Amino acid sequence: MEQRIKQAIAGSDADYTEIRIEQEARSQVLFRKDKLENIEGSNEQGGIVRALKDGGWGIAAFNDISDLPGKVKEAARMARLVAASIDTPVALADVDPVQQVVTADLKRDFRTVPLEEKKKLTEEYNRILLDYDKRIVSTNARYTDSFRTVTFANSEGTFIVQEIPDITLLLVAVASDGSQNIQQGFESLGEAAGYGYVLNREQETRDAAKRAIDLLSAKPVSGGKYTVILDPSLAGVFIHEAFGHFCEADFLFKNEQLKKVMKLGSRFGNDDLNVVDEGFIRGLRGNVPFDDEGTPRAKTYLIKDGILSSLLHSRETAKKMGAVPTGNARAISYEYEPIVRMTNTYIEAGKQTMQQMLSEVDHGLYAVRAYGGQTMFEQFTFSAAYAYEIEHGEQGEMQRDVVLTGNVFETLRSIDGIGVDLTMYGGSGGCGKGGQFPLPVTDGAPHIRIRNVTVGGK
Amino acid sequence: MDKLLATLKNRVDQAEIYRRRARTIPIEFRSGKLESIKSNETEGIALRVIANGRLGFSTTTDMDDPSALSKAAIAAAVFGEEAGFSFSADRPTPLTGVYDKEIEDVSEQALVDLGEKVIRKLRDADSQVDIGLSLVKTVETVAIRNTSGLDVEEERTHIGLSAEVGKTSEGDIFVLFDEQEVRAMSDLDPDRLVSRIVDFLRHGKKIVSTPSKELPIVFTPNGTIALLLPLLVGFNGQSVYMGTSPLKGRVGERAFDPRFCLADDGTIPRGPRSSAFDDEGTTSSRTPLVSQGTIEGFTYDLWTAALAKAAPTGNGYKGGLLGGGGFRTPPSIGISNVLVSAGDVDSNEIIASIEEGLLVESVLGLGQGNLASGEFSNNVAVAFKIEDGKIVGRVKNTMIAGNSYNLLKNNLIVLGNNPMWALGAVNTPAIAVGGVSVIGQ
Repeated sequence: MEQRIKQAIAGSDADYTEIRIEQEARSQVLFRKDKLENIEGSNEQGGIVRALKDGGWGIAAFNDISDLPGKVKEAARMARLVAASIDTPVALADVDPVQQVVTADLKRDFRTVPLEEKKKLTEEYNRILLDYDKRIVSTNARYTDSFRTVTFANSEGTFIVQEIPDITLLLVAVASDGSQNIQQGFESLGEAAGYGYVLNREQETRDAAKRAIDLLSAKPVSGGKYTVILDPSLAGVFIHEAFGHFCEADFLFKNEQLKKVMKLGSRFGNDDLNVVDEGFIRGLRGNVPFDDEGTPRAKTYLIKDGILSSLLHSRETAKKMGAVPTGNARAISYEYEPIVRMTNTYIEAGKQTMQQMLSEVDHGLYAVRAYGGQTMFEQFTFSAAYAYEIEHGEQGEMQRDVVLTGNVFETLRSIDGIGVDLTMYGGSGGCGKGGQFPLPVTDGAPHIRIRNVTVGGK
Repeated sequence: MDKLLATLKNRVDQAEIYRRRARTIPIEFRSGKLESIKSNETEGIALRVIANGRLGFSTTTDMDDPSALSKAAIAAAVFGEEAGFSFSADRPTPLTGVYDKEIEDVSEQALVDLGEKVIRKLRDADSQVDIGLSLVKTVETVAIRNTSGLDVEEERTHIGLSAEVGKTSEGDIFVLFDEQEVRAMSDLDPDRLVSRIVDFLRHGKKIVSTPSKELPIVFTPNGTIALLLPLLVGFNGQSVYMGTSPLKGRVGERAFDPRFCLADDGTIPRGPRSSAFDDEGTTSSRTPLVSQGTIEGFTYDLWTAALAKAAPTGNGYKGGLLGGGGFRTPPSIGISNVLVSAGDVDSNEIIASIEEGLLVESVLGLGQGNLASGEFSNNVAVAFKIEDGKIVGRVKNTMIAGNSYNLLKNNLIVLGNNPMWALGAVNTPAIAVGGVSVIGQ
């Protein structure tokens, strides 16, 4: 295979050519209510060629890897078509060529675990959800694992083979009191880890079921402005969704006005606010030892002491903006070209305890866990799985239907408390951008407190 | 496929082979300039088997050696769920309007020229905008064979055109998005896409505020998705069977305003999701969901139909609710084309009849509310204030919240007379409802 890839690249008439070939073995067990909806072991293989000719990109993706020279030609043909109608040619920032093999070091490789065992485990968690309370009307218990071997080579002499493991567990309980009141509680776990990661999750499973039941009697939140304390999970989603995407340079590099908004050196928050994207933290889902352009991982401070200090780059955006590639060019699979994405993104720990932050809030909300999030430029919206009201510094009753929204720049400046308790969450889903979903990422933060957040509701 | 099916016949009770070959050409423009052209040729097989009465599933891209695929699916079936159903024995007849020679033949250069033309028109209307545009051509062949004798193959074509137009000014970024997903070149209407965006840009120049109170909202066809999404989940036969749909056990009940009709129809000529059969070979059909406000039925795949003792409706799709699962996932219930009946009032007349309210074209955070209960709670992405029957400007950072089931039962003001395709799946007119909770700045 190595020879075939290298020969195909050597035969290219493009200015730059890269080939990425991927093999994946994956399995899934999915229970819904009392039914095993899917049990599966599957294999997949495919590749992608990207060629740059006279400053235009051409791309060819495929499953049939028997004719790599043909695919290189196809990509180069597309590139020439593009080159004929552009006036600003694409160039790439320099990255040192690398030859390396990165192997996964798993404690108990999930590929060696029989499908039967994965089924039994998932079934057991599903049983805990179902048996928790008679008001649990449905469940969703899903185990997935994926082991990818990705080979990347380019015409500059880079040749990298990386093993990328991923294991997730999703546990959802849906409760109904028989009327239109239907609520859910969930636990969403994911790591780049071995099989041990999904074992002994009985307590989390019970907690998920309990939350669904508790939410049946929770009050819908009243809409309005609140001081909000976000738990680490929700704060992590906030920093990823609302701010992190803004730092992806492919989103700004052709837009002069947006570039002004994201000018390095601008103040984005108080002195104690530090936001990081870090390409490798042992075991985390967002890990990329080398990104899908062969750039090594980096630890990038997006905000340092409240000041915007870097963006996230691919080789193309780095060249265009006079920066250094940060190892953030990622693709979800061989079907896609790399685009600028986050890896493991987090707010660094601050100095306050949760108790201190809570005691200073007269009237507010403590919002916990993210149900989802979306941003459109500076406007963000994300929903908490549940929340508690805060009255006179004390945590009060549970609230539901909590959707938070605002302007990210104003909101970052309104962060007036950062906790000591940084926690990272991989989750079982992933990040979506440009039609590429789900990309494994990790978000994290300590508890944070934000003033003046708009909360939707009646 | 024949050989694989023949070898499986002796080893399992039932088998179903699904094969999808697709050639997709995405053409991307960014900031008004061509960025990349891609050729995507994918082919994969999915195998479902029922062995000793139990269901197993596996997929592969290795077309030369299907023995590993059979082995994996049979291995999964050992621990699989008891299959209460048989694979489809339907004999779907061909459907017209799923394939268009013109799409198959259109060159990459012609698509690049089309994209550049659309960008020029947008730029002519407003030279200050940042334009992202994509054109995606897809030609796919789906073939399904099973041991019940099903043997079908369909060639399908699609063209997708989408544009994102952003206008940045001091302290404000205004972004508009519109898309068209069609099955024939001649159905593409770039001028309509341009004129919708240009109209919204014009209305959005001025930013106005809105008070926090209950207001009527006119959802444009694109905007109705915020309101209709809970229903798409609620009429899913699996939600109903599982008891997570509030519609369970309510067939025959007048649960909506009598003017409201809803249907799922996979057979509409040149409908964005039309096909002769679904992803498990069941013949596509029209399924009435709501007629004159009364609940008529739900959508089913083979699996849930058997559990719920209902008839399959041709809604077994790979990728679930909104489909798009390629060959990879096992089929589950998804929507085909969803139709909301039109009313008889023109959109401009609807707006003219509103004393104070909002016009909503798109929202953020779609699907994040408690969909099962029918709750939506969204930040508006593109929305305008209506005062005394006129659009007076754009509103920002504004939340809207309500319950779709309640609004469509008790608070329906009017349905528009000009339906459009939204989300590449839902054919709907503008819908005006009253009493939506609005939280302004």
